Amino acid sequence: MTGHTHTNQLRGRTLDRRSLLKAAAGLGGLAATSSALLACTPGSSTSQQPLKPQPSPTASGSITLWMRNDDLLKVFKTVIPAFNKVYPKITVDMVGLDIDTKLPPTLISGTAVPDGSFYEDVNIVGQADHLYDLSTLMKPHLADTVQFKLDVNTIDGKLVGIPWDTDPGLLYYREDILSQAGVDPDSLTSYDLLLDAADKIKSKNSKAKPIPLEQDSNLGLQWLMMLVNQQQGAGMVDGEGKLTIDTPATRNALTWIKQVADHGLGARTKFASTGQIAMLDNDTISLVPWAIWFDFLPQSGLKKSVGKWRVTQLPAWKEGGARSGVMGGSSFVIPLKAKNPELAWLFYEFAIYNKTGYSTVYGPNKTYPNGLNTSLPSVKAALNGPALFKPVSQLGNQDLWPVDTKAALAIPPGYRIPPWFNQAANYLGVNMQKMIDGSMSVDDVISKSTEQIQKNLVDRQR
Amino acid sequence: MTAIAGSRTGLRRATTTRRRLPRQWWAGYLLILPFFVLFAAFGAYPLVFAVQLSFTDWHGSGTLHWIGLSNYTYLLTNSDFWGSLLNSGAMWLLIVPVQTVLAIAVAAALSRSGRWYAKVLRTVTILPYVTPVAAMAQAFILLFDTNFGVTNYILSAIGLPKIGWLTTTFWSKPTIALFILWKSSGFALIIMLAAVQQISREVYEAAAIDGAGPLRTFFSITVPLVRRATAFFVVVSTLGISQMFVEPYILTKGGPYTSSQTSGLYLYNHIGASDLGTGAANSFLLVILVLILSLVSVRLLRSEE
Repeated sequence: MTGHTHTNQLRGRTLDRRSLLKAAAGLGGLAATSSALLACTPGSSTSQQPLKPQPSPTASGSITLWMRNDDLLKVFKTVIPAFNKVYPKITVDMVGLDIDTKLPPTLISGTAVPDGSFYEDVNIVGQADHLYDLSTLMKPHLADTVQFKLDVNTIDGKLVGIPWDTDPGLLYYREDILSQAGVDPDSLTSYDLLLDAADKIKSKNSKAKPIPLEQDSNLGLQWLMMLVNQQQGAGMVDGEGKLTIDTPATRNALTWIKQVADHGLGARTKFASTGQIAMLDNDTISLVPWAIWFDFLPQSGLKKSVGKWRVTQLPAWKEGGARSGVMGGSSFVIPLKAKNPELAWLFYEFAIYNKTGYSTVYGPNKTYPNGLNTSLPSVKAALNGPALFKPVSQLGNQDLWPVDTKAALAIPPGYRIPPWFNQAANYLGVNMQKMIDGSMSVDDVISKSTEQIQKNLVDRQR
Repeated sequence: MTAIAGSRTGLRRATTTRRRLPRQWWAGYLLILPFFVLFAAFGAYPLVFAVQLSFTDWHGSGTLHWIGLSNYTYLLTNSDFWGSLLNSGAMWLLIVPVQTVLAIAVAAALSRSGRWYAKVLRTVTILPYVTPVAAMAQAFILLFDTNFGVTNYILSAIGLPKIGWLTTTFWSKPTIALFILWKSSGFALIIMLAAVQQISREVYEAAAIDGAGPLRTFFSITVPLVRRATAFFVVVSTLGISQMFVEPYILTKGGPYTSSQTSGLYLYNHIGASDLGTGAANSFLLVILVLILSLVSVRLLRSEE
């Protein structure tokens, strides 16, 4: 009976003044909680203390370093024992994960931040405010580092990345097909001569489309930037952040790409897709001006054409011009909120600038029995030194080291990556695709892309 | 004496109850407090922060700068934003009507058939729904590759030209829609099967006695009686399509050009560029749009009742 009455009382309760006050108090509490949480807004900057790495063997502690979760993780883990011989009291926990997805939110929220991380150059600039300025620590190594990698990692006068790998552009070609067409690969010194060579190959095989024209707008943009950077150092922006799209270098590159398309010499595929692999294997594609890392395809993806691929320098845009450009690359960064940034620096300095360190990474190991040959160090001493990786049978046992390192050292300085690089694929990347497909002219691509990028990307930066 | 003792005991109990009442009252609040703390941290706070963010030019670091409605006006006057909405709208038209009608028809056929193949068919239809989307997308790319896909191989064998299924602006949206139909029709079937099985057999028997054929029975009995399930499915599909991201990202990355860039993919581009203020504004515009669409769908279906 009492229970029943009580239930009725509850049911009959109306919104009186007390309830209103309680509700208001509850909402106030909620708002207060939200305000308190808002007070600790993520991303609030941390004041930077200068890093002072302790000399061996006194340095001690443990560090967590993030790596991309692939073969590179296995390779870099092999550096730890050698590092511990020099720094025995530092414990390194190397964790493999999806850096692109995990690192930005971690840096913004400031929780569970690693002591150091691998990061692609193209993404570093967007997170520069969360990273240590390593200018002072890098001073002893500046002269020994290829200039364009330092330029890429310098944002607002701060050096925020420790340059790791260099990815120069090279010309991969099918030795058998060039030989049949009477083309001497050493004669391919200009882009006009490359076009002539493609014509000769097509005259022998009407189904051939010797040069791949990338269909992915993002990768296509990276490829275009390699061709542009090769001529003017800069890519889409200069050191001041001003757009450098409306330049003779971009016009030259786009005009050449359009000629490849208009003459029917280009194969429309996406890099490493099933379609492209088939075209590389069935003699459709035979001349590939691309980044060094194209060589993973002959080593793992191709079947019929394995052993027939070779590599040489890219052609030059003018006589005596640079024979390489940059397409890709990555570095290591140390977050401002790292617990042991000095120890992370010691590890990266060892792995990148110490001969034992870079030889362990690039030399033969369990993961890469012939060594890591899909990229190169950014350290001049390593590039000018003896070969770190061995020739591979998939590329006809050609000695890749002298060709690759010559290209790495030829990349012009001055390359800058804007924070909106990936988004530019929606404008310059897409417009270039339209040009290849015949619906835009070179001038249209340049003028429209400049306008779109200025309005949608440059003007929307702080 | 007993009466006095009894009344004293009653008085003591009442006093004790009155004294304990406030403690029990707050104990109740204490018990539900964890929910409110979690809700404040993971529900209210992100929402309030996102609203605040949509009025700033925050790029992930430093302080928040108030820029008023600038992000909203930028988006509402941007052809890419409207283009992405149009692409999502086209996807809706290509997917939802076909999937709804097909699901009701297949559900009606399966629920009335007691044969062994009905169970096999049910399993076959639901199987793609439980398979990881990345694995299915890879298989789909192989099937629809312009140069080496089985689909174009068949077209060539019968003398028809090859089609750039995922590489031409005309075909990219229908091909992605086909993939989603293949992938998610199992979910539609589960919903409709449950609804169709709720319809009494007597209704069908009465229709049969009145001389209604299979088509008449389907349109005059099955379709009207699964209207609530249809409304639910349409609303859920509208929500799903407004957020569609994975399928175009894996299959076309929004291309060729931006022909398959859905609103979800466009939103992701802002986040990818660390333009979090514009991203937040874009999210709220989508929320408003989806809310309106959902309300209109529900109203339309309810008014027909």
